[in-house]
Amino acid sequence: MTTLLRFENVSFAFGRQSILDDVSFHLEEGRCTALIGPNGIGKTTLLRLAAGLLPCSSGQIFLRGQAVIGLRRRERAQRIALVPQHVMVPFDFTVEQIVEQGRAPYLRLFGGPTPEDHEAVARAMHLADVVPLAHRVFNELSGGEQQRVKIALGLAQEPQLLLLDEPTQNLDIGRQIELLDLVSSLRKEGITILAAMHDLQLIPEAFSSVLLLTPEQTLVQGSPQDVLQAAILEKAFNCSPQRHPVLVRGNPTLKEKTV
Amino acid sequence: MEVEVAVPSASTSAVSNHHAPNLGAILCVLTTLLLAAMIFSMTVGAVHVSTRTILTALLAQHSLSGSESIILLQVRLPRTIAAAIIGAALSIAGLLFQGLFRNPLADPYVIGSSGGAALGASIGLFLLPQFTLLGFSTISLAAFAGSAVTIALVYWLARAGGRTQVVTLLLAGFGVSTMLSYSTYFIELLNQNYGLGMSVLVSWFHGTIDVPRWTQLAVAGGMVGLAASLCLPLTRRLNTLALGEEYSQQLGINLEYTRVAIIVTGSLLVAAAVSLGGLISFVGLVVPHLVRLIMGPDNVRLLPVTALAGALFLVLTDTAARTLLAPTEVPVGVLSAFIGGPFFLYLLRRTRREYKL
Repeated sequence: MTTLLRFENVSFAFGRQSILDDVSFHLEEGRCTALIGPNGIGKTTLLRLAAGLLPCSSGQIFLRGQAVIGLRRRERAQRIALVPQHVMVPFDFTVEQIVEQGRAPYLRLFGGPTPEDHEAVARAMHLADVVPLAHRVFNELSGGEQQRVKIALGLAQEPQLLLLDEPTQNLDIGRQIELLDLVSSLRKEGITILAAMHDLQLIPEAFSSVLLLTPEQTLVQGSPQDVLQAAILEKAFNCSPQRHPVLVRGNPTLKEKTV
Repeated sequence: MEVEVAVPSASTSAVSNHHAPNLGAILCVLTTLLLAAMIFSMTVGAVHVSTRTILTALLAQHSLSGSESIILLQVRLPRTIAAAIIGAALSIAGLLFQGLFRNPLADPYVIGSSGGAALGASIGLFLLPQFTLLGFSTISLAAFAGSAVTIALVYWLARAGGRTQVVTLLLAGFGVSTMLSYSTYFIELLNQNYGLGMSVLVSWFHGTIDVPRWTQLAVAGGMVGLAASLCLPLTRRLNTLALGEEYSQQLGINLEYTRVAIIVTGSLLVAAAVSLGGLISFVGLVVPHLVRLIMGPDNVRLLPVTALAGALFLVLTDTAARTLLAPTEVPVGVLSAFIGGPFFLYLLRRTRREYKL
């Protein structure tokens, strides 16, 4: 498999506070990876670094061998899409109008959207299953519907890499399953995804690999079965396995566990 | 036990945006209404001139009498064109600043241009009361300069570490504008106490469209035309900016350049409007907002409709301002607040939209 994204000894600090220290990993093309770790560990920062929105303090990030920070803004936005946790839209834009913004990196200065842009928007809306919402006002949608619209916007960018920041946050279990079903379907389409996740329960169903950021700034990468092990998670999250419903010691397939 | 769950259909809650008005039809209607309003505006005044006379004269089918020619071509036509230019300029500027600040309460003077223009006009009148350039009086020229200097100052104050925070820009604009406005009150006080002959400023502060010279109209019209053409690419970016800074950045938008372009374009429009009609409030706040309620939030569609609606609104308001209490002229800014205000509040109450700020 080809390497799509590669972090090489990446460090990042806000002022004197180190957020990420000497992080190295790579993502293979077509893989769907869950980025997990305790609160404040730097998951969002890692995604923003991958999207080229923050400069590394040291180290380098490559997308198909090209330094992300060296890409021109528009080219970067055509190749990497980041779906942030929150979006506040002050006016009553419809879902279709929101998804159309995914074509912003493709528009010329004085030009409008081309037939290719309309096709890309229609395809993205179809993939994210938001076609029935097309003419609804974004602000009037439920949290789960808004997440799907944001993913459609990211897909409209036709990126090589789709970065999702906590896509299941604030969703009830039904909407979480719906969203992870969407992630699974995108995985089948061959889209490379890196998603910061809080809820570990549903990861094995939707993701083919897991990247765990630990407080010691070490990275654990592997299949869900390899990484979601009690001993590993207990250390990373500082949480007793008996208190966590998803930890199953020694069992590669996560099953319901009565605490 | 089986529980039946009703699943609401997505299509049942489709909203009116789906049926947004046809842009071409709206533009045709507004253009026709604007031309009709301009012709009507030229018929009314101390001397009545019939619509037929105006139409035949404009179509060059017969020449006007001497007095009619002066009234129409040197007084009423330039003034109605000035009202249209000011209305369009302020409305487009309002649209730009509401989009930039992601706030429907922003108006063209939001980053302090009104305070700067007012102080500039006061100082200009005090120092060079008789000076004119291309038909523009000292008040207009100094207001233009004051507005431009203030915006540059506010932008410099709000900029830190190579970036401009929108909230800082808003606060700096508010602070500078308030400070400069009170300096203007101080100058007015001096005027009252020492008789500096600045009473003309009072009506200028409330917005009054004088009869402009054709050179003034050409300069102001040129500025508005230039700014409006710069708006074409900006309106698409305003749609993206509505998603917020982080989203816009990840969509490849250069935030700093876009902000500077919006501020420069908006300021050009405000300076053109202020140089022709003083500080006319409310138009730039109300018109883009009303048009948005009808047309939806897409700034690309809003731009031409806002420009025409703003022009129409101010032509009608100015006509009322100079005829309602004739021969006394009501400052057009006062009347625009009287007319626009209640209509705006009515629509706001009727739509009951929830804004996310």
